Amino acid sequence: MSVWLQSHPVTIAGLIAWALGILWLMPGKQVSAARNRIPGLVLATAGIVALSSSIGAAQPEFASEVLFWLFAVGALLCGVLMITSRNPVYGALWFALVTLCTCGLFLLQQAPFLAAATIIVYAGAVIVTFLFVIMLAQQGGAMGYDQQSRQSFPATIAAFVLLGAVIMTLQIGSGKAAAVAGEGSSGATTNVTAASDAVSQTSGNPLSKPLEGQQLGTMKGLGRSLFGDYLFAVELAGTLLLIASIGAIAIAPRREQGAI
Amino acid sequence: MTGDVERFLFVGAGLFVLGVLGFLTRRNLIMMILSAELMLHGVSLTLVTFGRMHGTNEGQAFTIFTLTVAACEAGLALALVLNLYRKSHSLDIQVWSRLRESDLPSPVSEGSGGTMIPPKNPYEDLPKLTPAGKRPTEAESVRVG
Repeated sequence: MSVWLQSHPVTIAGLIAWALGILWLMPGKQVSAARNRIPGLVLATAGIVALSSSIGAAQPEFASEVLFWLFAVGALLCGVLMITSRNPVYGALWFALVTLCTCGLFLLQQAPFLAAATIIVYAGAVIVTFLFVIMLAQQGGAMGYDQQSRQSFPATIAAFVLLGAVIMTLQIGSGKAAAVAGEGSSGATTNVTAASDAVSQTSGNPLSKPLEGQQLGTMKGLGRSLFGDYLFAVELAGTLLLIASIGAIAIAPRREQGAI
Repeated sequence: MTGDVERFLFVGAGLFVLGVLGFLTRRNLIMMILSAELMLHGVSLTLVTFGRMHGTNEGQAFTIFTLTVAACEAGLALALVLNLYRKSHSLDIQVWSRLRESDLPSPVSEGSGGTMIPPKNPYEDLPKLTPAGKRPTEAESVRVG
């Protein structure tokens, strides 16, 4: 671990800058006026960019590389702005932007149907429901408890230690994978496809494997997986939705019992 | 594992950690639920990346189930939040920090806790039945009739 700490200064600096930016943007323990947001935003952006550039290799095509940077930095930065926003309405809107950026990342990973479904469910239904609840419950705009945070310093430390551990595992694992790939005569890409072929041949769900000559994540392939291998789970998910809607109707307060 | 996979895994981990951070620090109930949804986004991204890594559609199928559970969770949680708001007239989570054994110390420092505004009508929180000995108001009798 100490070897990793010494050999990845950019990663460490990125983590620290990102954490400092969040701490700057986060509301304090006492109710106070908002600070100037620019230094926090600059620190957080610098940290995110440093971290993303210190991990992994670039994509082969220029366009997908640009799109990756746009969506990754957008998702993480909008996430920072969401958890530090002092008004829950703005928080919900930043969350919608995080959803859009995540869907962009889904598109880059050959999951077009999933991207569309996520946009429809989240941006179309979940965000609207949240905004309705904010409208019902918090008509006075931002309250005092929105301007305060609980234990922001220890929470930030704990969260970023967790992130640092994940990144360390990723980098050490990628070093080992590169070493294994270097031993083989062929390049990294063919080795990966061979490994994935071996994995999917041994897996017990043959219908989840894309058909010959088909890409990953087409609607046909996804339907084969869902209604072939996971048919029982799909039925269970439908039952879960039904029970959750019944429960939500039963739990939600009625207007006769007291005005909301 | 190509390097390109790890960057997506990093973004997923980053989203998850941001969600954890928001859940721990924010005091508004709605912001806490939104942070939980942010964590689910991170997990979805990780699942899709793993699916692509293995060359199967299973990761994307799992993400659809995650989406289902997230929708159920949002609906139920918002119903619960509305119920809590009706009881305390505040979305502050600190109001409910007294929901513990009375001889245990408070997990957070006292004093910063929110204040619960008592409802104007003491019968408001009771179930539907009109309390015994209380004459129904005109509005209630109209509604029953």
